[in-house]
Amino acid sequence: MNDQPISEQDKRRRRGLIAFQIVCYGYLLTMFLIQMYMYSTRDW
Amino acid sequence: MSYQTTTIAGMSGLDAHDERSRQAQWQADKWMMSGALFLGSAVFGIIGLPLFLRGLALQLKAQKAGLTVRPMMVTLIGYLVAVDAALNSIGWALDMVAHHTLLARVFLMAWGNMFDAGYFWHYNELWIGGASAPGEKAWEIALLPLVFSMRIAAAIGFLQMKRWGHQWLIITCWFGVVAWTGYIANMTIFADVRYTGVVFPVIGWWLYDIFYITPFLALPYLHSVNREIFSH
Repeated sequence: MNDQPISEQDKRRRRGLIAFQIVCYGYLLTMFLIQMYMYSTRDW
Repeated sequence: MSYQTTTIAGMSGLDAHDERSRQAQWQADKWMMSGALFLGSAVFGIIGLPLFLRGLALQLKAQKAGLTVRPMMVTLIGYLVAVDAALNSIGWALDMVAHHTLLARVFLMAWGNMFDAGYFWHYNELWIGGASAPGEKAWEIALLPLVFSMRIAAAIGFLQMKRWGHQWLIITCWFGVVAWTGYIANMTIFADVRYTGVVFPVIGWWLYDIFYITPFLALPYLHSVNREIFSH
């Protein structure tokens, strides 16, 4: 079986997915920080 | 490494190795499945953890002994997803169809009082019963029968190293991305409803929920693992 191209493609795919996850977790972190900001200004 | 030994040993050796591996895996899985059942029930989680860890230790021991058992990463991801989906299912199933039971009123309203007033504020006052937080019921209806039930099925197939299990775990992990981006947007938009008057606002909720949010971290692994190992 020709492993080389598959593993190269998988490597690129993994890199793309990690970048996508950074975006996702960046969004979640932003939501958390917005909530923390609200927490600091409100009487919860 | 185990492959080399079995090839040298020939066919009968290979059969014996297969049988020993299967037995070791089943032995470990019995402990881990019992543990996962308790963990997935939320209330008995404390009983489940030692059972699960015992199964994990047995699998590790078998792996070190050279037996062909399931890769550790597959085991961890599979059980994590199954337990995560079970925990979400039990809480939301209680809220959807059993919101007037003593269990739901103690369990969910305690959760509401501590972390998320969506489960406290006007609880059981809508026609549908249960949580009254804006949007909450829509998430329950969309995610419980579709995503979480699929996710448990996918995790079982994945743990059995079946091709469909691997494919469906990828699909439901992507569902997880959609579910959590939407759900957390909802939590932020209606933050005043959900955090007013609770014991641990914001930080408490995030500490508890971060474990549910993380399973889609498995996506890069799932997309790049050698698909040939999921063979059935």
